[in-house]
Amino acid sequence: MPRVFITGLGLVTSIGNDAATVTRSLRELRHGFEVFPPFQKPEIPVKVIGTIKDFATNSPDQEDWVFPAGYTIKRELLRTMAPNGLFAQCAMLQAVADAKLAEPDISNRHTGLYAASAGSPYLLHYHNDRLNKVGVMRCSPLGIVASIAGTLNFNLIAAFKIQGSSCGFSSACASSAHALGFALDDLKLGRQKRMFVVGAEDGNLDAILPFAGMRTLSLQTDPNLASRPFDAARDGFVGTGGGVALVLETEEEVVRRGVTPYAEVLGWGQASDGWNVAISHPEGSGSAAAMTLALRASGVSPEQVDYVNAHATSTLIGDISEARALRSVFQDSALRPAVSSTKALTGHGLSLAGVMESAFCALAIREGFMPGNAHLTKLDPECAGINILRTTENTPPKIVIKNSSGFGGANVALVFKRVA
Amino acid sequence: MPDAVLPNQGTSKPIPQTNKPFSPEDETALREALKRCSPSAFESAVQFRKTGNAEHVPAVVIGIIERFVEPDLRIKLKDADDDLRLIEDLGIDSLTMMEIVILVEDVLQMTINNDELRNLRTVGDVKTFIDCKIRGLALPKPTKFIPIEHIGAVMPVQPPFLFLNEASVSSTAANGKYRITGQEFFLQGHFKDNPVMPASIMLEALGQLAVLYLLEGAPTEAGKVVSPQSIFFTGCEGVRAHRICKPGDILSLSIKPKRMKMPLATFEGAIRVGQEKAVIAEEITLTFLMVDAANAPVSINGSFEHAGNLSVSSAAPATRVPPLRVAMNATS
Repeated sequence: MPRVFITGLGLVTSIGNDAATVTRSLRELRHGFEVFPPFQKPEIPVKVIGTIKDFATNSPDQEDWVFPAGYTIKRELLRTMAPNGLFAQCAMLQAVADAKLAEPDISNRHTGLYAASAGSPYLLHYHNDRLNKVGVMRCSPLGIVASIAGTLNFNLIAAFKIQGSSCGFSSACASSAHALGFALDDLKLGRQKRMFVVGAEDGNLDAILPFAGMRTLSLQTDPNLASRPFDAARDGFVGTGGGVALVLETEEEVVRRGVTPYAEVLGWGQASDGWNVAISHPEGSGSAAAMTLALRASGVSPEQVDYVNAHATSTLIGDISEARALRSVFQDSALRPAVSSTKALTGHGLSLAGVMESAFCALAIREGFMPGNAHLTKLDPECAGINILRTTENTPPKIVIKNSSGFGGANVALVFKRVA
Repeated sequence: MPDAVLPNQGTSKPIPQTNKPFSPEDETALREALKRCSPSAFESAVQFRKTGNAEHVPAVVIGIIERFVEPDLRIKLKDADDDLRLIEDLGIDSLTMMEIVILVEDVLQMTINNDELRNLRTVGDVKTFIDCKIRGLALPKPTKFIPIEHIGAVMPVQPPFLFLNEASVSSTAANGKYRITGQEFFLQGHFKDNPVMPASIMLEALGQLAVLYLLEGAPTEAGKVVSPQSIFFTGCEGVRAHRICKPGDILSLSIKPKRMKMPLATFEGAIRVGQEKAVIAEEITLTFLMVDAANAPVSINGSFEHAGNLSVSSAAPATRVPPLRVAMNATS
């Protein structure tokens, strides 16, 4: 089976809108949280999110949106996009340039695109509201493709004239990790030569606030204390949005085009908890199984793993489950891998999380560092027994695991390797 | 393209006309709806909403279309040529058309059904359509695109004296194209070693387009049709030739009816080559008769039941040719 590499990436995240800024934020543990103006009402107890800077998408009219001057996006494309589509479009443009892809490399039967977003609750709400207000035949003809789950893949496939495999993934916070896993399979099975994997979320009031009902959001008002994975004082996750795109290519394409990859994608695994619709398995059984399967598929033993980018979102139950899963997978390892959750810096990107943090792993591997777990003051005793990095280590990791888990108890683990 | 866009599902009811005066709130909403349109479109919309005067409608419609056209194509709308095609010339796809319709509905307080939309192919179609809707008139027949085979089948005139390669006909106008091939028999002598399309033939081509309009586009009484054998040339006014036309030129012909009352129909006509004016005819008048549809001669393969009587052409003895050129031959 062909080897598969990450050859390009693009980032629009709360900690930076380009690879250089994101790398610096990861190294220096600079978070992307701000007090979010739409939340500043007495009836909303949640105050902070990971904001996307230099973009303004707080209008249902796409032509009102503001985005950095370097991007040119025609109205014809913009009019069908949700905010997450705009973030992803910009991330895709970065990734295409980063991977040095020419148009014929993008639009052909051997190049596909898998995407993950939860759609746009914001625009869905707006358009359904208009449907009731102005009448069935007067609601926007483009409201559907701009708002429903799948809007991300619809838009990107059309915008980049993708002709290969395409699909959207919907497993909540595991979605884009699933997308990456299945993209890897398509490349390994010889179905495609190149895959774009994209995740994006609106990260606005409508996307984030519904989680408050579940009591999963942090109520911290201080942006510096809001997201604290594995900390005893953590009180929930901090929402964020953005868009991230990865370019995956087979070795043959890497050689043909003469590009330098970030990392090799060795393999992946997935397993489900079979437990609860929204609560992770108390022992992290699905997550542990996913990691074990991923390591087996990659031909890697637990003791070879240098770094785990944890799913840990800073929720009470989830972080403990993952800590237990990590202990069960690496219990006998003489040297346990370093573990950190970069959600301490970015917040939780929901569908975006898996591919965003995979891009962080790619940057860490190429730049030779392991980002620390920010905002960790007092480790939750329940999360003891794993080697959580408190500060960034300038040690190049060779083998890296990326964990993702979603509603329904879906768990994905991805394995990356440094290119020698 | 999603298949949800075009199917015939126009089910919304017409908005009842209210006599409610145009309020400041209405004006605010109108300003918001038209915020990306030109100020003149907004002003026209205000005038229309205040007075109900349909004269303001074209400016509103053009302003709304312009707002949805990519900026680099907007220059085409400046000339406001009614023959400008929405898809081919302005890049408006069916989804953008829906955006336009919804904004027009909102701004002009009217309802347009999906099945009415399909026939709108040019800027002129849209203007006429909305004008008819607002005035409560019957909708015009849609613009028909008529390929050469069909032209040959319905026209009394036939090759080698047929000077239309393609045509489109609506109830308000007809447009056609003819490419001068250089093989036309008369170019051998017109002129010696210097083939130039005779102006008389160009006027003939306009006359042929007017004949096609009478047969395919003109509104007729119920159960009646225009008899192909009944159409003859009677006169023309204000004919000027502006440009020498030679083999390779593509003549873009257009005629519009000015007056029509049996047995006379008067048209204005023009021929362009690209953007250049070639021939202008202020008036071309034809005579025609309507007959009961049941008694009309059936036209098959361009052959009619009886031959024409004024033809000076011997090239197509079994077929009718319009008499137009009889009077024209001397003018070139």
